[in-house]
Amino acid sequence: MAQIPFSDYLSARRALKNEVSVNLLTKLPDFDADGKPIPVEWAPMRFTTTEVLRLIQPYVSTRFMDQVRAVVPLALYLALFQLLILNQVVKDSLLITGGLFAVIIGLMIFMEGLARGLMPFGEIIGSTLPRKSPLPVVLFITLLLGIGVTFAEPAIGALQAAGQNISVERAPYLYALLNDWAGTLVLVVGASVGLAAVLGTVRFLYGWSLKPLIYLALAPVLALTVYCANDPDLRNTLGLAWDAGAVTTGPVTVPLVLSLGIGIAAAAGKSDSGLSGFGIVTLASLFPILGVMLLTVYVASTVTPAEIIEAARLAASTAQDVQLPWYERSPGAEIVLGIRAILPLVIFLFLVLKVVLRDRLPNTGEILYGIGLTIIGMCIFNVGLTYGLSKLGGNAGGMVPAAFMEIGGIANSPMYVYGVGLVIALAFAWFLGFGATVAEPALNALGVTAEELTEGVFKKKTLINAVSVGVACGIALGLAKLIFDLPLVWLIIPGYLAAIVLTMFSSETFVNVAWDSAGVTTGPITVPLVLAMGIGFGNATNAVEGFGILCMASIGPIITVMITGLWARFQANRQVRAAKHETVISKEREVQAIL
Amino acid sequence: MSEIIYLTDVAVITCIVDKERTDAVLLAARDVGARGAIVHTAKSWGTRERLGVWGVAVETEKDVINFMVSSDQQDLIFDAIYLAADLNAPGRGVMFISPVDRAATYVPEALRKRLHVDPE
Repeated sequence: MAQIPFSDYLSARRALKNEVSVNLLTKLPDFDADGKPIPVEWAPMRFTTTEVLRLIQPYVSTRFMDQVRAVVPLALYLALFQLLILNQVVKDSLLITGGLFAVIIGLMIFMEGLARGLMPFGEIIGSTLPRKSPLPVVLFITLLLGIGVTFAEPAIGALQAAGQNISVERAPYLYALLNDWAGTLVLVVGASVGLAAVLGTVRFLYGWSLKPLIYLALAPVLALTVYCANDPDLRNTLGLAWDAGAVTTGPVTVPLVLSLGIGIAAAAGKSDSGLSGFGIVTLASLFPILGVMLLTVYVASTVTPAEIIEAARLAASTAQDVQLPWYERSPGAEIVLGIRAILPLVIFLFLVLKVVLRDRLPNTGEILYGIGLTIIGMCIFNVGLTYGLSKLGGNAGGMVPAAFMEIGGIANSPMYVYGVGLVIALAFAWFLGFGATVAEPALNALGVTAEELTEGVFKKKTLINAVSVGVACGIALGLAKLIFDLPLVWLIIPGYLAAIVLTMFSSETFVNVAWDSAGVTTGPITVPLVLAMGIGFGNATNAVEGFGILCMASIGPIITVMITGLWARFQANRQVRAAKHETVISKEREVQAIL
Repeated sequence: MSEIIYLTDVAVITCIVDKERTDAVLLAARDVGARGAIVHTAKSWGTRERLGVWGVAVETEKDVINFMVSSDQQDLIFDAIYLAADLNAPGRGVMFISPVDRAATYVPEALRKRLHVDPE
């Protein structure tokens, strides 16, 4: 934009002033024989290239900068940490930069497509379906939608990508789940999200409290966790199961499932009270854990570890000679993955619209444009995920242990005394978690809602800080789990038991906000980065698997938010009591003064 | 006290801009002497539809900003807003001045004395 000093502009104003009568720019309609006006037809506007650029520039740049703000600080943090603290040059830095650029571009296009295509589509169905169809049909469609949105979630790709680095000998069932059963795994996670959406909607329809639902959902989850933890073969899959819960609640699932849930509530005559969306997210991060554990138990009952290892060996030996077709090689594989993620959801939504609602799509052009953008964005994001986020996270994870232990391939490791290096590694994880969470836009939105719901008792900033500290501590704890090779159960069971106790004492609003904050924090940038970092870290420290960091990042904020909530209530009560006490004293004084 | 003081020589400048430009417009208007403004949230229709494929780049969520200004100020503020609102591009918004017959609001005591409009 050219800048003109305002004083110059003012002095030239008289010369610049042109007047055009608007009468010259408008058309009067012609009238037909009956005296009715014939609709005026406007010729499409024509623009020069400069005008088009002026039109497009702010549209692209604001959206581009949104993603730059999300990606660049995290990437810089990881790179500077490696450079300054560990004195290591980032490996393949050019490739990673290119990959991160693809992530930024991909997410930008994906989010725009989501807003233009999938969201309006979902809203149409959300507002008309519950009025036109009976409740069971609507709930069934909600269930199917849950599966569709899970496939469309960008972070799910990271879970599938993580499977390639698992050693089949050491964790055969984990390897099987992420490779041979990968499709089933996502399907199970999706079905769990669907079930959660159904239950969450029913809960809102009948006004059930969230607390008993949390207890009821947690009981089998914790019981199965204990069962799996006692089985040496199943133990390694626990991290995956718990992390799956954190992966599911992303930028596609939450708004689409919510729009349907809110639509159902509105059709039943319940207005959107602000609490309506809550609960679905909570259940959608608990149910997948149960689903994945059940799948694990099922897999364990059909194949033995020896069979899996044998099959993996066979696959590895044949894979080396055969040149993979283009669609199974990178970057072709990522593109196929992107199309496969979005298209089923779109077809499903379209079928619901045509077959169940017998409706037509308004603004077809724009919605198609949005869907096209979503698919293109997903493909670019997937490429960036492989070359940028996963590589960067993996590198950082592989590098950080060099601070306190000897790592092959890194000169003069360990770089620091064991204790100091350990503190550096944990501090690294803590600040990574804090930084990644503070900037999360979804958390900002939750903060605003929480402030409104609690009538200002719980400030937006308080919530953001509480959640960020929770995530930071969770990620640091998750890293500590990898370093000391602690069993995940030891961290999860006490964590969730503490959460249950806090839930009993907290008010319904805080329970809703706290349990939802866990799902909100894990966006499409944090999840792949943290997953890859954990696995890289696990490989470097020779841990069996690198999962479990994300689920610690989920339980962290639940606990910190409820503690903060209880503290805020305690403070408020004390102030009220102090105020009452003061008025009593001042009344006494008045009485004395009169006497 | 209950007597109304009619304010004359008033104009209203209405500026319809993209949400992101609102703050820039308010600051620019304040710098050249606008006393205050009212911002309404609105949804626009028209340009986006007529732009064809380029329509997607047009933001339909607009803010409507009303400034009540004196007739001496109006040209200065109008031009300042035009530049700040970045209206010099397709689909970015529109602005206009409407003459106002009269206005009325609270006039502070000190001002009344200075202007000799108090009934006493």
